[in-house]
Amino acid sequence: MDGPLFELTDATVRYAPGVAPSLDGAGFAVAPGECVALVGPNGAGKTTALRALLGLVRLERGAALVQGRPVASWTRDALAREVGVVVQREEPVFPITVEAAVAMGRYPHLGRWRLFARADRDAVDRAMALADVAALRERWVGTLSGGEWQRVRVARALAQEPHALVLDEPTASLDLRHEMELFELIATLVRERRLAAIVVSHHLNLAARFADRLVLLHQGRVVATGAPEGVLETGRLQGVFGWPVALQRLPDGTVQLYPERRAATPGDRR
Amino acid sequence: MRRVPGRRFALGLAALLVVAVAAGVLAGPSFLRPAEVCAALAGRGDPSAIAIVWSLRLPRIALGLLVGGVLAVSGASLQVLVRNPLADPYLLGLSGGAGLGAVLAITAGVASPWAVPAAAFGGALLAMVSVYRLAAVAGGALDGRVLVLAGVVVGAFAGALVSGILAVTDAQGARSAMLWLMGGLGGAGWGTVAALAVYAAPALAVLVAESRALNLLSLGEEPAQHLGTDVVRTKRHVFVAASLLTAAAVASAGIIGFVGLVVPHAIRILRGHDNRALLPAAFVAGGSLLVLADTGARTIFAPVELPVGVVTAIIGVPVFAFLLRRWTARSSS
Amino acid sequence: MAARRLAVCRWYSLLVLIAPLAGCARQPPRHGPSYVDDWGRTVVLSAPARRIVSLSPSTTEIVFALGLGGRLAGRTRWCDYPPAVRDVADVGDGLAPNVEAIAARRPDLVLLYASPANRPAARRLEALGIATAALALDRAEDVGRAARLIGALAGAERVADSLVAAFDSARAAAAREAAPPTGRRPRLYVHVWTDPPVTVGRGSYLAEILRDAGAENLFDDVTTSSATISLESLARRDPDAIVVLTSDTLGAPPPLGERPPWRAVRAVREGRFLLLDGSLYGRPSPRMPLAVRDLAARLRRLAVR
Repeated sequence: MDGPLFELTDATVRYAPGVAPSLDGAGFAVAPGECVALVGPNGAGKTTALRALLGLVRLERGAALVQGRPVASWTRDALAREVGVVVQREEPVFPITVEAAVAMGRYPHLGRWRLFARADRDAVDRAMALADVAALRERWVGTLSGGEWQRVRVARALAQEPHALVLDEPTASLDLRHEMELFELIATLVRERRLAAIVVSHHLNLAARFADRLVLLHQGRVVATGAPEGVLETGRLQGVFGWPVALQRLPDGTVQLYPERRAATPGDRR
Repeated sequence: MRRVPGRRFALGLAALLVVAVAAGVLAGPSFLRPAEVCAALAGRGDPSAIAIVWSLRLPRIALGLLVGGVLAVSGASLQVLVRNPLADPYLLGLSGGAGLGAVLAITAGVASPWAVPAAAFGGALLAMVSVYRLAAVAGGALDGRVLVLAGVVVGAFAGALVSGILAVTDAQGARSAMLWLMGGLGGAGWGTVAALAVYAAPALAVLVAESRALNLLSLGEEPAQHLGTDVVRTKRHVFVAASLLTAAAVASAGIIGFVGLVVPHAIRILRGHDNRALLPAAFVAGGSLLVLADTGARTIFAPVELPVGVVTAIIGVPVFAFLLRRWTARSSS
Repeated sequence: MAARRLAVCRWYSLLVLIAPLAGCARQPPRHGPSYVDDWGRTVVLSAPARRIVSLSPSTTEIVFALGLGGRLAGRTRWCDYPPAVRDVADVGDGLAPNVEAIAARRPDLVLLYASPANRPAARRLEALGIATAALALDRAEDVGRAARLIGALAGAERVADSLVAAFDSARAAAAREAAPPTGRRPRLYVHVWTDPPVTVGRGSYLAEILRDAGAENLFDDVTTSSATISLESLARRDPDAIVVLTSDTLGAPPPLGERPPWRAVRAVREGRFLLLDGSLYGRPSPRMPLAVRDLAARLRRLAVR
């Protein structure tokens, strides 16, 4: 497939008439084999941009395309076969096992009536192994820690065997090892299977290390897009985040930022 | 508590069904001997025994299986729809509407045997439409919490009207209306069974078809959407189908509680939450349990007959308490 | 100064004179007839009752039977016997009665049915200074007791005594004559309600009439006055006929034949219904011997057929 998998053009979204728009003429594209990170302060419109791309909010202006077609023309079923989504929070109302939860990722391929086949069970097992939740197979979802539950949901998205992954704050509850493992996993899938990946993250540094491109949003507008080195620039970051930052380079060339502390005054602890 | 493996579970359900039907056919306040019952089933022997078995016990068993099954399936679906494990088929004001229709028919003294069931069904449908309208005000998507509130409001309104009517009607009519409301499988003939089967079949088919969608809905609306569910359409289908089932059940047999609330949970605990297995299993289990409860209701204090809703409540409460303990063990982290 | 003291004395003496009268206005001195009613209260009147309001058809019949019909100042809309009762003012319902309508009749005695639903009304009437007496008229034996209470409070004790004696002997005579010659008592099912099936048990007045008339209540083993029974028991016990009160239907036997489950009962299939006058059979009254004779006659006709 050539051309971008996701494309948002001049999108404006207003949640209620008369209020300021949550997205204001935003646009970016994501191609297969690319990992794009949406970054920006709270309320910048990152989640709204995702929802617009997935057809969950109505666009006042602009277009949202998936594989070249308007997202509104996709059935939910067909879209679920293409895109695996991991949302921020999820709370099942009935107790289910991890295995059952991940297995639901196969539903878009099964439809209403087809039973689970060998191939489906294998896909579930592979997904659980990739997300490192195979050991939690028989556990009840309600008894998992926040991080474990997040990884289970990533496994479910992987079980969909999608062409694209969309993740909204996927590392929010993960510890260091699992954070790195998840991003390594995404990078591998993007590179080896040519998935398109969109990640919304507050971890600017992780995004800078793993994403091919950053899209920096501020008040609903795209302020900068491109390679992390180009987007992460002290003046711009300070303007967007409202806090002074400094940049440094790692040995492998990635740019990392660190926020500066306020100037020390007598009486401070350190 | 480990889950019961599939084959053993199915066998257990089948056994329950057989026991229930056998108890229903063999036991009863006229205390027929098994030999008499078998002869009657074959059409031989004492004509009064034949009449009892064919015109009274068998239709009652058939109706009990249908009503219990329908209530359990409806309850299971509604629990997912409103995302509340405490939901039962009457949550959405349907019992209030049905009760109002029935009370009006009873106090108006209409003699036809179909008057009260038809009025109850009509009342339940009216309640369903009212709840739908109220909930749809919030933009077309049936928000679970709004549904519950709307159901409470409609049910309370209907209940107030019922109380008012019972207050001004004579003692006889009031008592009879209340007895009807308490539920019973007694007045049923094969005609009622057939009518219920006709109404229930399409609604049951719709719910079974939406089983996977219901599984996804229990995760939440957003995850369900991302996994391929058209949430608005699914919720509408489930709401209408479950309401029709409940309306038909109440019209046939009054308001029988606990079956729709407890049976789905029992199956979930024993077999898991997958609605593809849960709904059919709940149907069989709910029907069997209701037949057993009804057999008890007409045999324990023979010849006096208890309202079957009383027996289901007496059984249902301790079972529910037991289930609650298992539930919390699985839900806490 | 002295004038002031005089004025105070005058006001004080006026107060002393008025005060007892004020107390009297709420509780008139009652030294007249008294009797203990069925709520265990001692009903005391200042004089034999002259304006009586009767709040149940049974007590209305008893009042007339005692020859006190002229003293009846009010009756319920359900009171229909004797015909002369139509000239008496209608005060509405007997259960949860209309206190204002009753008070407007200026009665000195109100006869209530002894139901808990009537306690608030009784309290309100007492607060207005009107004496009330509660009567539990559920069975044949209550008729005599009620007659004695009403007779005592109306100053007609001797009439009451003779009424009770006549009632008892008439009842015994009717029962004797009704005893079935062949020894086999007809078994009757009393149909009160269709869905669910409700009938009367041993503790009911109608069952007593049945017994006196030489018949047997199909569900005599039920001890309460009424109960829901299962159709199966009814079909199995196979009554000879089904008894229905006209007050429970619209003047014709209920269309039970139209309901398939009911057709398992032979009496329904063969249409063997006995329609009884609700006014005569439906409540305890001095006319019980009449009811017994009437039923016995109809049962004899049924047997002959």
